[in-house]
Amino acid sequence: MARAGTNLRTSYLESNEVLRRPYQKVLIAIVLVGALALPAGSSAFFVHLMNLCFLASIGALGLMILTGFCGQISLGHAAFLAIGAFTTVILSVQLNAPFILVIPAAAVSGAVIGFFVGLPSLRFRGVYLAISTLAMHYAIIFVATSYQAKVGASASAGISIADPSIGAFRLRGEYAWYYFLLVFLTLVTLACVNLVRTRPGRAWMAIRDRDIAAEALGINLTRYKLLAFMLSSTLASVSGSLMAYYSNVVTVERYTLDLAVIYVAMIIVGGMGSILGGLLGAIFITLLPYGIDNLFEFLPRAWRFGSTVFGVQVGAVGVCIILFLLFEPKGIAEIWRRTETYFDRWPFRYRPLDTTRR
Amino acid sequence: MEFAATVVILTCTYALLAAGIVILYKAGRVVNFAHGELAIVGGYVFYSSGLMGGDMSPWLAILGAVVFSVIMGTFIFATMMRRVVGEPFYVAILITVGIAIVLKSGIIVIWRAEQVTIDIGVAPAIQLPRGATLSYMDVASVLLTIAFFAALYLFFTFTRLGVQFRGTAENPLLASQRGVNVNFVLSLAWVIAILAATLSGVLYGGRAFLSSESVTIGLAGLTAALVGGLDSLRGAVVGAFIVALAQYLTVRLIDPVLSEALPFLILLVVMSIRPWGLFGTVEELDRV
Repeated sequence: MARAGTNLRTSYLESNEVLRRPYQKVLIAIVLVGALALPAGSSAFFVHLMNLCFLASIGALGLMILTGFCGQISLGHAAFLAIGAFTTVILSVQLNAPFILVIPAAAVSGAVIGFFVGLPSLRFRGVYLAISTLAMHYAIIFVATSYQAKVGASASAGISIADPSIGAFRLRGEYAWYYFLLVFLTLVTLACVNLVRTRPGRAWMAIRDRDIAAEALGINLTRYKLLAFMLSSTLASVSGSLMAYYSNVVTVERYTLDLAVIYVAMIIVGGMGSILGGLLGAIFITLLPYGIDNLFEFLPRAWRFGSTVFGVQVGAVGVCIILFLLFEPKGIAEIWRRTETYFDRWPFRYRPLDTTRR
Repeated sequence: MEFAATVVILTCTYALLAAGIVILYKAGRVVNFAHGELAIVGGYVFYSSGLMGGDMSPWLAILGAVVFSVIMGTFIFATMMRRVVGEPFYVAILITVGIAIVLKSGIIVIWRAEQVTIDIGVAPAIQLPRGATLSYMDVASVLLTIAFFAALYLFFTFTRLGVQFRGTAENPLLASQRGVNVNFVLSLAWVIAILAATLSGVLYGGRAFLSSESVTIGLAGLTAALVGGLDSLRGAVVGAFIVALAQYLTVRLIDPVLSEALPFLILLVVMSIRPWGLFGTVEELDRV
């Protein structure tokens, strides 16, 4: 009775299950096995693309917790990535600290800055909060720019970072990174899934849906809002640190407001309030520029002239934001959900139950 | 003297931007993050349409800018903003963020992001005492800004449409029940706001240059609007003056790099002390 099983729950424990449908376990197993086997048959460039997707996913999950679950709009995500990257620079280049220490340190520094960036959320919401995170972005990037200038690295070349090593093992090359990031992302995803279905997650969703009602229910707004900010910036900072190690270079030029908007695009395209959406959106937006580049291959040479391709790549992100917000506001995750419901109900064509309606 | 001239021109640029942001906020409770992009694209359109007949022709340029504002304003309202009424607040904001990126890519694709200085070729410059120069275009743009604000004041105070405008800003539902064509009023708000942005883009392009980097003036405009109060046109001018003055002084006295972050430092200070701005309405605020 798969049809009844998906929506009919007979105990509270059941409503907490992560995988409600029997085939979901199979699906996840297939995805994991596929992911493990993937590098065997693909080029280094493709593995590199997957690594970029994994790195983006870690950051996107952070923003998803903050915006998708807690409902706090942030335009400061690029700054958090920058904090991770520059923590890495300070610790690994200047103090020669090992990788195993740098990553937790990046997490801590991200959390600390996230705490301060989150403070305005106690007084503002909505537009005002978005603007205050924007202000924080510029403040943090200003500090990073001055630091980079002080170290004496030019803006375009940046500061180079050596490959990290864990014990005797040196983490280098796309393939080694692939497995490392796959394990890391799986752990982060598991943590996020468990987080959003337990107390903090339910508190965040209550705050997102109506903060006053949430407070009336006894949810400590201060605590959970700051927790969301700290977690989000921690994940972003770790992602930024890993990104710095992976690309072997840190430059403040990369952490523009556009990058923050790209992360916002990821969670919109993926679907607000869904961990799966965060992953799918990150993959979609990361691969988008490469897809466009491939499309341009089909056009005559003249079209690829100059900066056209770059311009279209930039604009496509904006077009995605607008189209998804207008026509599919809950993103790819909602398309996935609809497909699932369709098969659950087959052969009947009842309108899908809108269980996630806000 | 040069100090005064620069600050006045900068104030005009920011005041026009801030006025557009305020009008849009009043009309539809939308904070437009694409305003800087609209201004710079407007400036580019002004420049390109002026060159269409070969030499730079101010009349063609103005025509092009007006056509751009009308088409852009109506398009943005009709296809996007109209549809997101009643959606969660972030939808409208993020759509303007999307518009901003698309416009920025338009600058790269259409104008190849080249640096352009708008020069409409009216007599070179007036020499002011103490070695400052002021082009006729600067004078014209200051006068235009004043004229724009005067026209806005007269429009809101004395015309039938202006009153309908204020009514819609206060309560769209009641206004539409009293026979106001709310959709027309709101799309007009977009057209006016973009017209103001274009004018400010032209001002900026005349004094400095247009490029894909100069879209950051939108953030200065946003700060000016917030400092003055998001729902106050008077505040927009005062806020613009404060931001322009602070920015000029930072570039001259402290550090040019800081001047980009400066509007936001002002913003943080204002938001923590007086979040509704200098002239804003207190209860308007979306506070916790």
